[in-house]
Amino acid sequence: MKNCLVIDLDRCSGCDSCVAACKLENEIDLGVKFTRVNAVGPTGTFPDIEMYWLPMQCQQCENPGCIEVCPTGASYRDEATGVVLVNADDCIGCETCLTGCPYNVRTLNPNTNVVEKCTLCFHRRGDEAGWEPACVHNCCCGARLFGDLDDPESDVSKAIAAAGEENVHHIYDPASLAPSTAYILHEKVAAWVEEPEEVERYEKK
Amino acid sequence: MTKSNLTRRSFVKVSALAGAATAIGASMAGCMSESAPAPEEPAKETTATAESAPAEDSKAGLTKMRTSCHGCIQMCPAIAYLKDGVVVKLEGDPEAPVSRGSLCIKGLNQLHTMYSPRRVLHPLRRAGERGENKWEVISWDEAITEAATHIKDAIDKYGNYAFFASVGGGGSYSFMEAMTLPMAFGSPTVFEPGCAQCYLPRWALSKLFYGGDDQSIADNAVQEIFKPEDNQTEVVVIWGAQPSVSETAESGRGMAELRAAGVKTVVVDPNFSPDAVKADVWLPVRPGSDTKLLLSWFRYIFENKLYDEEFTKYWTNLPFLIDMDEKSERYKLPVLAQDIFPDFKQTTPENTPAYVCFDLKTNQVAPFEYSAPADAVVDPEIFWAGEYEGKSYKTAGQIYKEEADPWTLEKTAEECWLQADKIEEAIKLYVENNGGIANGVASDMTESASQVPLGCMGLDSIMGRINKPGVTMTQKGGGYFAAESETGETKSIRPVTYNNGFGGMFSDMYGIGAVIGLSDAQNEERIKAMAETNGEMQKRHNQLLVDRLGMKDHKGLYAWCHSHIPTVRNAIATGEPFKPRVWFDMSGNKLAMLGNAKSWYDVFPEVDYIIGQYPMLTSFHIEACDLVFPLREWLEEPMVNMTQLDTQWLQNECTHIGETVSHSIPAAQVVNKCREMWGGEIPGGLMPGLLASATEAEVKQGVADTLGAPDWETLQANTDEYVPFVTPNYWNYGQHEQICDEDGLPSGFATESRKIETYCQMLIKMARTGYPYCYPEPQEACADYSPICCAIEPAESPMESAEGYDAEYPFVLTSGRVPYFHHGTMRHAPFSRELFPTAEIRINPASAKELGIEHMDWVKVTSRRGEVHARAYLTEGVNPKTVWMERFWNPECYDASQANPTGGWLECNVNVLTKNDAPFNEVYGSYTNRGFTVKIEKSTRPENIWVEPEEFAPFLPTSEMLAEPQTKDVF
Repeated sequence: MKNCLVIDLDRCSGCDSCVAACKLENEIDLGVKFTRVNAVGPTGTFPDIEMYWLPMQCQQCENPGCIEVCPTGASYRDEATGVVLVNADDCIGCETCLTGCPYNVRTLNPNTNVVEKCTLCFHRRGDEAGWEPACVHNCCCGARLFGDLDDPESDVSKAIAAAGEENVHHIYDPASLAPSTAYILHEKVAAWVEEPEEVERYEKK
Repeated sequence: MTKSNLTRRSFVKVSALAGAATAIGASMAGCMSESAPAPEEPAKETTATAESAPAEDSKAGLTKMRTSCHGCIQMCPAIAYLKDGVVVKLEGDPEAPVSRGSLCIKGLNQLHTMYSPRRVLHPLRRAGERGENKWEVISWDEAITEAATHIKDAIDKYGNYAFFASVGGGGSYSFMEAMTLPMAFGSPTVFEPGCAQCYLPRWALSKLFYGGDDQSIADNAVQEIFKPEDNQTEVVVIWGAQPSVSETAESGRGMAELRAAGVKTVVVDPNFSPDAVKADVWLPVRPGSDTKLLLSWFRYIFENKLYDEEFTKYWTNLPFLIDMDEKSERYKLPVLAQDIFPDFKQTTPENTPAYVCFDLKTNQVAPFEYSAPADAVVDPEIFWAGEYEGKSYKTAGQIYKEEADPWTLEKTAEECWLQADKIEEAIKLYVENNGGIANGVASDMTESASQVPLGCMGLDSIMGRINKPGVTMTQKGGGYFAAESETGETKSIRPVTYNNGFGGMFSDMYGIGAVIGLSDAQNEERIKAMAETNGEMQKRHNQLLVDRLGMKDHKGLYAWCHSHIPTVRNAIATGEPFKPRVWFDMSGNKLAMLGNAKSWYDVFPEVDYIIGQYPMLTSFHIEACDLVFPLREWLEEPMVNMTQLDTQWLQNECTHIGETVSHSIPAAQVVNKCREMWGGEIPGGLMPGLLASATEAEVKQGVADTLGAPDWETLQANTDEYVPFVTPNYWNYGQHEQICDEDGLPSGFATESRKIETYCQMLIKMARTGYPYCYPEPQEACADYSPICCAIEPAESPMESAEGYDAEYPFVLTSGRVPYFHHGTMRHAPFSRELFPTAEIRINPASAKELGIEHMDWVKVTSRRGEVHARAYLTEGVNPKTVWMERFWNPECYDASQANPTGGWLECNVNVLTKNDAPFNEVYGSYTNRGFTVKIEKSTRPENIWVEPEEFAPFLPTSEMLAEPQTKDVF
């Protein structure tokens, strides 16, 4: 099994509801995020511009760099579901895994000294209604899909097939990690940016 | 095998800083407690074992309750999960037909705001000076008596007009209560920062224009385009709205589905909103110049004969000859057939006047009687100007054409800061595909508040896009704002429009207001009959209409029974023509929501006593209020939602803490107490006066009735059986063509002419007498209102050639929502503030560079009214001369941790900049919240403003709040 998110950027409006859904579902502290949504662009010059939003969370890589570098084995892949997870008991908060992940989707929670990340709502995998991450359930654009990429009949596999190869993208892969999360984006909405600069909010020091 | 211990920690965050703030929030021990469960950590430690034991349902042991969100006006169906009476999880209801399980950040974060240390759980009396934020908890009895005593004393001493009410800015549950509370006290004064600045112009004009629903995508008016089945929409023009931001889970989701299905969109918005990002054509119009752009669409469509000629000829009033004689009584009004053809005998009923056209069959001026198009004697010319018997006339169509004539694509592009080819591309998409125009609040916040909706509806009318599948202007059965019969059946009588209040409800209640679609004689007769049964109330109410502040000039406000806000402020300041002295506000942060907020702050000392009600304390309560009633949050308050398509849903009482009450109760209790103190009747007050439930039992029964349940208990126990409530026969088309049983004519529209009044002739009558609202006794005349869209240049213009140009203020500022907040809500929601911590101003990078401003620099924004601070968000998504802000206020400024607390409304509040003086919109008195000019300079962060995620910890739910016992209804 290869459970994973597929995100339709043609639909995503950057409303950040997934971020709140995730934080409330997983009871995440202020200052820590498992998922983020930043703007890519607008690119071009007013008024000839285009943009999209890029929801970013653990990419569920085929060759996860985080697991490779973790000194305690706290970062691991759950073989049954294919999900990359962190065992909090074994995590020593050394942040080595952050060096193995180029996507800045892992955070050391200073309150617990444990590295945290998206689990695809692993605790919801036994839900009677089916396994559906909170971000997917509440997504206000119907942009977030979840399922088994190995199953051609899953929602995610079908969405990828329907979009067509040229409109399905994966995040840049500088370290041959083979990130699995697929992003659907048609040229008509915006051109996919290979190494996007995410526009963020922050307080200048 | 690896054991995974997922990092799940308690929901409860006890912060050292939060402790002090809890003083008001924490309940008095045992107060009215139904049961006091031991305070328990609501979330348990979950240990997930990956491979061996089967995973449990994550909701096991939780109680599921169906409800509706109230994070914005659209109220999406949602599901709450509770543990020991505490709501621990919220999600969208997948059965909802438009939101489809979506729930946005505003709704989700109620999980925090429900248990926020900022909650007010008991009535509070001010204990220090205004602004000191010192409070004393008092009993409900004391609070009601105190409020009633102040109101009674003021009225006894100064008369009924000493009382005034307001509402709005916090989700505005209390529209009806605010409208009717002053009626109970015999006062004409009530205002709402929305109203003329939000939705009233579009809502009320659609009633005058064609007697049907308006084009608002932001207020549940537009439903047709979101039909999941048999959807015939091919194009949607979103004019000044951003559904993906303002109504994220419903209209936003709806638009996402439409676009995915291939529907084309045009978005008119100065800001590159998410809907603009996804649009086929984006027109980044110069703020406040929309009228000119609309006129260019008219010009192009007229010139290229792209309009629906048959529909325009026979179903709009554009072929009517208009009296152009300034000395004539009917100047600017359509000529009646009897007026110029003395021998003309009308065959239609008296309630269906015969007008005059230029007949192409005979090439002469001829009577134009109402009929089915196929039965028409004449072939009316839409565009004609000429003389008849020595007098000159023009058709209404000709008047429109002449108004539109200067607005070529090129000139419009120049004036509106657009590209001519893009305007043309947008018009072509619109005319070549079935669909319609949908709008939002943008135009309401400008001087052109009436002219823009006239233009938007006007375009759909000449395209024949009315009462058809796939368009935005349809007349649906049922629905919150529907004036037609609840069963949705097509009336077989000649359609009429009642006025004064929603569905014209006050018209029959008090015998005031004319009914559009009745003849003059019928209206006179109706009013006379009502005078016989209810003469005293009719007289009193009519006098309130005459005396209402600002009505002489802005009579459109009558539709929602509201006063003109700047005129109220001046009355408070000067006592002219009377002095409002005791204020009952019903929701939200007035200092964040009212235009030119400082001008209001300055008159607070002139108001003797101020009552507020809200689930939390805002800047307004701290700076102004003497007494605060605690209200329920939406997870606690029974209500019926706003509908999604043909469905209505329950807003459930999922839980209830403290002594909070439903929004209608304080006013109803105060009115009852006043009546008691006066010995039965409020002298000078109207009866029935206040329309509000005084007890929770009444509130709950009302909800049960609406959803078809026998009582509240049955409804709550069997929610799935009653929810959703489906309105039968909701989808209706072509009603105007159905034959009316009364006279054998097509039913037509609920207007004077029985046609769509694209030339809104009722506005002319309204300006002169207040008709149809201020009736039978008229209001004083003012200058005529424009019955069509006409070009308006904002009073503060960024155009060097314009009169209102000032080089000191080179940027034009407009504003809009961000997805994190609705109105003034949720600034105390820590997970919203973490993502959007402070006010921002979007600036084009080229302009920022000239000013030496970098992304995320703090800047000072100064208008002719004041200055505020915001962080610069550099983006190519705005014109170099346009800047864009979201309104903001900062509840952290009066957090107990602050050394020098402030009211939190001066630092980052766009409404310190906005303009609340003339010129106003002529019909509605709308002032200028958007499209005024500012200057921008680099600055530093104001004191007391939080920006780092961890700083918002004092807003997180506290263990004390989560341990609050479940409580019984207070009333």
